[in-house]
Amino acid sequence: MPFLTLIVRNIYTRKVRSSLTGAAVAIAIMTVFTLGVLTYSLRETAISILRTGTADFSVGQKGVSDVLYSSLDETEIDRIRSYPEVQSVVGVLVAAVEIDKNHPFFLELGIQPDKLEEFGVQVVAGTPYGPTAPDEIMLGFRAARDFDKSVGDTFTVEDQQFRVVGIFSTGQVFGDSAAMLPLPTLQAQERKPGSMTLAFVKVRPGTDIDALRKKIDDDNPELATVRTQSEFGRIDRNLKLISAANVGASILALVVGAIGVMNTTMMSVFERTREFGVLRAVGWSRLRVLALVMGEAIMLALGGAAAGLAAGYVAVRLIQRVPEVVGVFQPDYPGDIFGRALGIAIGMAFIGAFYPAVRAALLKPLEALKHE
Amino acid sequence: MSEELRPTPAIQTVDVVKLFDGGLIHALDGVTMTVERGEFVAVTGPSGCGKSTLLHLIAALDVPTSGRIIVNGHDLLHTTDDRYRRSEVGLIFQLHNLLPHLSALENVEIAMFSNGMRHRQQRERARELLAAVGLVAKERTPPPRLAGGERQRLAIARALANDPSIILADEPTGNLDSASADRILTLFRHIREERRVTIVLVTHDAHVAAAADRMIRMRDGRIVEDASELGSRAAS
Repeated sequence: MPFLTLIVRNIYTRKVRSSLTGAAVAIAIMTVFTLGVLTYSLRETAISILRTGTADFSVGQKGVSDVLYSSLDETEIDRIRSYPEVQSVVGVLVAAVEIDKNHPFFLELGIQPDKLEEFGVQVVAGTPYGPTAPDEIMLGFRAARDFDKSVGDTFTVEDQQFRVVGIFSTGQVFGDSAAMLPLPTLQAQERKPGSMTLAFVKVRPGTDIDALRKKIDDDNPELATVRTQSEFGRIDRNLKLISAANVGASILALVVGAIGVMNTTMMSVFERTREFGVLRAVGWSRLRVLALVMGEAIMLALGGAAAGLAAGYVAVRLIQRVPEVVGVFQPDYPGDIFGRALGIAIGMAFIGAFYPAVRAALLKPLEALKHE
Repeated sequence: MSEELRPTPAIQTVDVVKLFDGGLIHALDGVTMTVERGEFVAVTGPSGCGKSTLLHLIAALDVPTSGRIIVNGHDLLHTTDDRYRRSEVGLIFQLHNLLPHLSALENVEIAMFSNGMRHRQQRERARELLAAVGLVAKERTPPPRLAGGERQRLAIARALANDPSIILADEPTGNLDSASADRILTLFRHIREERRVTIVLVTHDAHVAAAADRMIRMRDGRIVEDASELGSRAAS
């Protein structure tokens, strides 16, 4: 009989205990997976702001609770522009508005028309808006399709009517799902005169980007440069907190799951004392007994992980239906979340089952055989 | 036969002492004996005389407080206990100690883990052994659904799994009716003759002890009578 078959048989024989162990792992993995997907997806939504355009990196106000609260003024934009390595800087005001129930988080980008090309915006229909036009707007082609709008139509934002003068493409899903309007118009609408949310920086060819970023960070302690998704927390404190909460919840899930595995495995080892005595008496080594208990725990953890991932997927789908979340949260399922869930499941098995397995392996065969 | 040509005994115990409870209980009190290869020896005596303790020490399930135990020329002090139990001895218990959730065939197979055989070979050997003890038709039956005598025969098949040179049996007929007990004793004799194994059987039943070639009687942790030695002395 192969060793693996014996492991499966042992698990199958003790259905209730195996189910309890698997359930402990499944709940923990469901938590890790759901939180992981939520955090990743929210970060993706937020980071997409930075991905708009063709900049080498972005600059925002350091440590604000939400990236949309970042505020830069023209002086700061000029200061960044003054670095010799910088080729161009485009200041953009970003605002989120609710259009309807299906679009509770629609983004507007305020940007001057002469910076559109520099920002990587291509007008695919109509013309750009005027630099100070109070009622002209351009829609990303995805937004235009979504709202069934074309050039010449009217588009209403917070009771204010705009005329769609152009349709644009940025090459980014996020940008193409947003609207653009003159910077002064959006600043007026948002009551933020002279303010911008982010500066998108393009460097001269051959520039050491990281060195330039460090220089900007050091010279301007109130600003933070961001290039990758993981750095986004430097600007957006909420996201940093969500990420930290996710890590914390994952650790908690690992600990709770491991305690669950340890509890049931310990009980199982106690109940099976005589069995281990028999195995040692017929010549099993301590290592093999250890491998048996660990193997059973790992197998259960993998089964629990599969169930937890399935339950987590269902949970994510249910969360998507919550009215407050509709339109804000588009779930992404990156591979590393599955990898992390698998790693945590195996970690639970190792942490939870190691001590009981060692106890089983160190049992004295004669005493174990006398166990009732 | 000269000393040089004499084969190494299967089991030698030299002044073996086993104390329990910090020395309050003298389970074995200087036991010295020799069991030759191929012998069928019954160790008998009243409850608490130390016969099971002696068997456990020979099986390396426990260690003596003092003295030496030499099996097939190897001092157990220098032997890895699990490898020794896997390759040198086969153990049979009064309560069978079979795993109830596995089939009869699998109960024999689990003793063959780590013996270097392929799974298919292990399965073939387990089937051969079940045939040898008359259980081939019950290979899929789990122990709880076997009769008492059948369970003990299954335990014997498991004890033979790794082709040991010594079988150590602790009250193997203790829970059986006389017919089943006789069948087990017949099986032991058959195994001894066919496989040339040494059998040490612990029992408090005189009828069972009489089935062996030699009877060692113990009392209070000492050997008080060795039937073959008595026979030799009587002859001389």
